[in-house]
Parts: sequence; C-alpha cells; structure tokens
Amino acid sequence: MMDHVLEWLQAYHDGELPERKVRRVEEHLAYCESCCAELEALRAMSSLLQESPAAGDLMRPDRFVAQVGLRLQRRPEQTVTRRVLETGWRLVPVGLLGAWAFVQTVLIVLSGILMTQSFPATAGLFSSVVPPVSVNSLLTGLHCFAGKGLSDWLEVLSCAARWFGPLGWPIALSIVLVMGIALLYLSWLASWWVRHNRIENVPIV
Amino acid sequence: MTATTIPAGIECEWIARAQQGDRQAFAELVQRYRAGVVNVVYRMCGDADLAEDAAQEAFIRVWQHLPRYQPRSSFRNWVYRIATNVALDVLRRERDATDIEIVPLVAAQSNPEAAVERSERADRVRQAVLALAPASRAVLILREYEALSYKEIAETLDIPMGTVMSRLNYARTQLRETLKGCLEGG
Repeated sequence: MMDHVLEWLQAYHDGELPERKVRRVEEHLAYCESCCAELEALRAMSSLLQESPAAGDLMRPDRFVAQVGLRLQRRPEQTVTRRVLETGWRLVPVGLLGAWAFVQTVLIVLSGILMTQSFPATAGLFSSVVPPVSVNSLLTGLHCFAGKGLSDWLEVLSCAARWFGPLGWPIALSIVLVMGIALLYLSWLASWWVRHNRIENVPIV
Repeated sequence: MTATTIPAGIECEWIARAQQGDRQAFAELVQRYRAGVVNVVYRMCGDADLAEDAAQEAFIRVWQHLPRYQPRSSFRNWVYRIATNVALDVLRRERDATDIEIVPLVAAQSNPEAAVERSERADRVRQAVLALAPASRAVLILREYEALSYKEIAETLDIPMGTVMSRLNYARTQLRETLKGCLEGG
C-alpha cells in the first residue's frame, strides 16, 4: 500500500509537479478514493473561483490608454550636471578602491623608511635623501595644527601605535583608514540597494 | 488573463523606446498589459472603480521607473509586481473600499433567478478572496486568475518558491472553509 500523495496534489493540480512524481501521483490516484476526492475539491475550487467575473471589460481599452497618457508626466531631462553626478556616483567604488591602493602604497613606503631608520647599519643610507623621521615629533606637530577633536583622535592613534612597536603608527593609521574606506563603501552599497529596490521590492505583508 | 501574443522582439523594442521616453511605445505596452493589470488590481481591491484608478496609477509608476527596468527579468512579472504593490497601497488608503460597491458583472440571462443566484455566488467568492490576508491573496490571484507558474509568482512577489506554495496552500484551505456551502451546493 502506497502512502497518500496529499502533499503533492496541489502542485499536480497546478501542473507544477516533476514528471517522475506525476507518474507516481497518477498511479496512486488510480485506486485511492480519498486522494481523488482531494484533487476533485481542488478542481472544484478553481472552477468556483473562475465564476467571479473579471473587471477588464468594464472600461474601454482606448479610453484607459488615453487616460494613462494624460496622467503621464514628462521625465526629468538628463542634464549634463545630473549625468556627471550620476556617473560620479557609479564610480564611487572605483574611487574607494584607488584610495585604498594609495593608502596601502604610502604606508608600505613609510614602513620601509621607518624600518631602515630603526637599524643603525642602514639609517645612514637614506639620511641624505630622507631626513630622519621621529614619530613623536610628527604627532606633536600634528597636535599643534589640529583642533581639539582631531587632537583627541591623534592621541588615540598614538596610544594604538605604541601597542604595535616600531612600526606602530603606520599600522594603526592603516587600520583606521581601511576601516574608514570600508565604512564609506558599505554606505554606498546601502544607498545603492535602497535606490535599486525602492519600488520593485516593497514587501507584501 | 494573459497578454495578447506578440513577438518578444517587438515588445523589447517597445520597452527600449519607452525607456527613452517614447509615449507611443509605452501606450502599446499599456494596451498589452491593461487587462492583466486591471484584473490583478481588481481582485486585490474588490472594487471596479478603485481598480481602474489603481491600474492607471500602476502604469504611471511603471513609466516613472521604466528607465531602471533591467530586461533580464520578465517585463510582465515586473509590471505585475508594481500592480500588486499599488493595490496594497490602495487598500491601505481605503480601508473601507471593499464594502463600497458590488458591481453586477453577470450578463443578462434568460432566467433571472439563475442569474441572481450566480451573481450571489460570484459575490461570495469575491468576498472570500478579499477576506484572505493580502500576502496569500496576491499569490492566489496570480495563480488562479493570471495562470502564472510558481516560479513566475516567486519572481513577481520576490519571495521563495516554498513560500509561494505554502501561501497558496493556506489560501486554498481558507477558501475551502469559507466557501464550503458553495462547493457542496455545486
């Protein structure tokens, strides 16, 4: 005795069941009265629903089309400024990628310079080209030019830098900048998603 | 109800031209999908006048958002999605709309008693469909009246196929309960 096929009947009735299962359902229906009755009920329901008339014939098609035409607004023209802004907005990820590559390059170069300066054997090689850089003096200088808000940030940065040892501040700065770039990219992604789904994906509750 | 059969290439051309702002091409698209959209909206709202307004509003939204339409998805499903959303907006705006009017849509019959009975049955069916939750109602309407496949419904409403099947099952079970009298009466 085969199990009932109730869970497949709806898909069978709608013509959505795979061929392999269709055969099994039909074999079962050949002798199972309760499943036959269930299928019949689904068919009766579909027929009953079709008794409720459609509304399409209530209005004349040409009148409907004309009314829609009258209500259509002109689309805002694509001005040059608008087009430039639109293109710029689309290129934001490329710009962020470029900014990330730039930050990484600068920080790798700086790390290299700092490494060479930290070893007495190589410090002399660059002293004629690059003046000796003291991290503390650089940060102190930045403190003088920065406002209070930025000063606090620099303080945090220098604290973080001390954690990482001789290459501390390039690493800390790198982390901060990469996080900033990631944040900007996520914001852009969120705005793109909202824009893309404004109409199409209004949830049906 | 399905849209008139025309070659897919011609429709793509209409869409492309309408995206560029060609109103005549858009009128062709409106003509093609009018019946389907009106029906979807009417079944969702249950009021013929509201359906006419809402269907027009749906086409206006289609026009506004047409430049963003991506041809990789079915245009009909995209239009139906907008129509369904407009119908839901209309329902939210006009909570009492379903009680406004019962339009006698049954053609004149030689037997007036039979006509009245049929009209009453049709109205009971309409009210039962309207009593369903909007999410299940949308799935049922797209399946039973627009004959969309499960996959097309999933794409139109942006829900998984499993959800389409469970909502359809729920809607049918509810209707069987509500319309027990009509079903038993034949």
